[in-house]
Amino acid sequence: MIVNERNIKIWSTIGSRATFGITALELAKEIDNLMVLTCDVSTSAGLDRYRKTYPDKYLDLGIAEQNLIGVAAGLASENFNVITTTFAPFQTIRCCEQIKVNIGYMKQKICMVGIASGLALGTLGFTHCCIEDVGILRAIPGITIISPADSLETVKAIQSAVKSQTSTYVRLTGVSNNPIVYEKDYDFKIGKSIKLVEGKDLTIFASGTMVYNSIQAAKILKKDNIHCTVINMHTIKPLDKQAVEEACRNSKLLVSVEEHNVIGGLGSAIAEYKSSIEKSPKLVILGVNDYYSKGGEYQFLQNEHGLTPNKIVDNIKLNLK
Amino acid sequence: MSNLEKYKEAFIKALEIEKSKFSDKIKYNEIPEWDSIGHMSLMSELEEKFSITIDTDDIVDFDSFNKGKEILGKYDIKF
Amino acid sequence: MDDRDKNIEVIKKFTNEVRKNILEMAFSAGASSSHFGGALSIAEIVSFLFSYKMKIDKQNPKFIDRDRFILSKGHACLAYYAALSEVGYIAKEELKTFEKNNSNLLGHPIINRKLGIDFSNGSLGMGLSLGIGVAIAAKKMKKNFKVYVVLGDGECNEGSVWEAAMAAPNLNLDNLYAIIDKNNFQQTGSNKEIMNTESLIDKWSSFGWETKELNGNNIEEIYDYFEKNENLQRPKAIIANTIKGKGFSFSENNNDWHHKVLSKSQYEKAKEEIKNNN
Repeated sequence: MIVNERNIKIWSTIGSRATFGITALELAKEIDNLMVLTCDVSTSAGLDRYRKTYPDKYLDLGIAEQNLIGVAAGLASENFNVITTTFAPFQTIRCCEQIKVNIGYMKQKICMVGIASGLALGTLGFTHCCIEDVGILRAIPGITIISPADSLETVKAIQSAVKSQTSTYVRLTGVSNNPIVYEKDYDFKIGKSIKLVEGKDLTIFASGTMVYNSIQAAKILKKDNIHCTVINMHTIKPLDKQAVEEACRNSKLLVSVEEHNVIGGLGSAIAEYKSSIEKSPKLVILGVNDYYSKGGEYQFLQNEHGLTPNKIVDNIKLNLK
Repeated sequence: MSNLEKYKEAFIKALEIEKSKFSDKIKYNEIPEWDSIGHMSLMSELEEKFSITIDTDDIVDFDSFNKGKEILGKYDIKF
Repeated sequence: MDDRDKNIEVIKKFTNEVRKNILEMAFSAGASSSHFGGALSIAEIVSFLFSYKMKIDKQNPKFIDRDRFILSKGHACLAYYAALSEVGYIAKEELKTFEKNNSNLLGHPIINRKLGIDFSNGSLGMGLSLGIGVAIAAKKMKKNFKVYVVLGDGECNEGSVWEAAMAAPNLNLDNLYAIIDKNNFQQTGSNKEIMNTESLIDKWSSFGWETKELNGNNIEEIYDYFEKNENLQRPKAIIANTIKGKGFSFSENNNDWHHKVLSKSQYEKAKEEIKNNN
């Protein structure tokens, strides 16, 4: 896929789900044994064009997520390169045990793509939001977890996951007009975090759409002479431990920002590792504070849960006192 | 280049249609290239070409080459 | 003796050896105990498949065109390991490591293709979905191998079984067999007491499967069904009526033997009984 300014803009406009659809389409051109499996969500996952172009490499199993994973594993056991996708809660929680047994334990290699994770579908209520997926999957050995920061990173994450030998869960956040973090092509490597902003006072670790919000927050804080490092932790598992160690050495405060419960996600992963580092600075975990709020539009919910750039700024200032 | 030519070019480029296959009668979802992904590409291309930002309602209503001309009229684009 | 009689004789001998192996493993499990009853009920089915029906290569458990076997009711693994041993994939010595520390042979199958264990199973309700994936793969690769999935009747409580049951006929998987071991019991009691599945044959048939009910402990019936039934365009569900604990007087239809320690005296008694069967 050609990474240029035009495509970056288009992918941003169409959002991460449709970008995933285009990426799958391109991958099908080069990978003979690719199979994309869904549960009645082709259009929602941007897979309409894929479905029509490669009907033999596509399988819709209806609204049956437990069967989805088992069938995917059966195909993987016969050396097919399998992608499964549906809405994040159903992709991860509904079939959690199937993921444990078939993917974690039996190690059948599958790339799972959870669409509309986080708070994107808040107008439909929390049944269709997902603030638990990272926490739950982190506890299953053998699954890499990636949360791409923008649509370009979505392309790279899907490509890497499909070509990897390890099973992966790619967590797609955001809606259409997905803010652009990467304006130019760059190197993406699973497990290697990316420092996007450098500042001496504190380090913000962010994942998914919160990377953009964290960059905006850093800009606001700079005006008040507070200098932030912002790190895109696109790979939540395996965690980039070196990045955490470096931040502990260089920053007075660590902050994590994610569209996920403060329990179990990126912040928890960092806290777990940080607890083994002597004399490390405080870590403030920003995310959904372990409750299901009323629903609403994406921006509304970001505000409600303290995840807009301004709210991130407020929280940081509170913790710097 | 006239606005009409710019407009036509946007369609050809965004939807990746061959010039020879292009017709001003095309409608959303009636040709394979103009599906939901093609549509967003087209909106993006038009925004860039005409330096405008298209409203969500207009993006939804924009369902044919001709309807599109009408919609762009709201943004002071004359054909 | 015609071919049918000869074949049935071979299968019966194999079945007897399978039961002997089950007995040995159950006894060597000691205090760890074992799922004795549910393994014994499928001895004939598993023996028919591994000694006769399934296309396998005794020298190569990974033979690429082999028929695939999935023990969805994974706790019946004693029968599975026993059969794999009779085929030659698992050494008799290794059978003695059943449920011991670091063993390859645990109380539910763990994937180990060198030993012929093709999949990990045990959490009920998952094997049929796996079977569907494998059957689809066969079609896409234009290969003729068949996929045999053995499920339990209690296992049919699981919703995931029905997701798979709904999908297979929709996908025209005529290379897929679901064999339901209907021994009428599950862990805590009879199916009727715990969760009555009512008519399994009606359920599977209404989902679109080609169905058959037969005596799962009768080799002639199993043999005759499979000899006559091929190429019917739909996946096949065989409701095999069996006796839980079949083969030993103390375990037949006795649900205590779902999972129990086999004492030395029971073991000695069982050895006598099976010797008299030869």
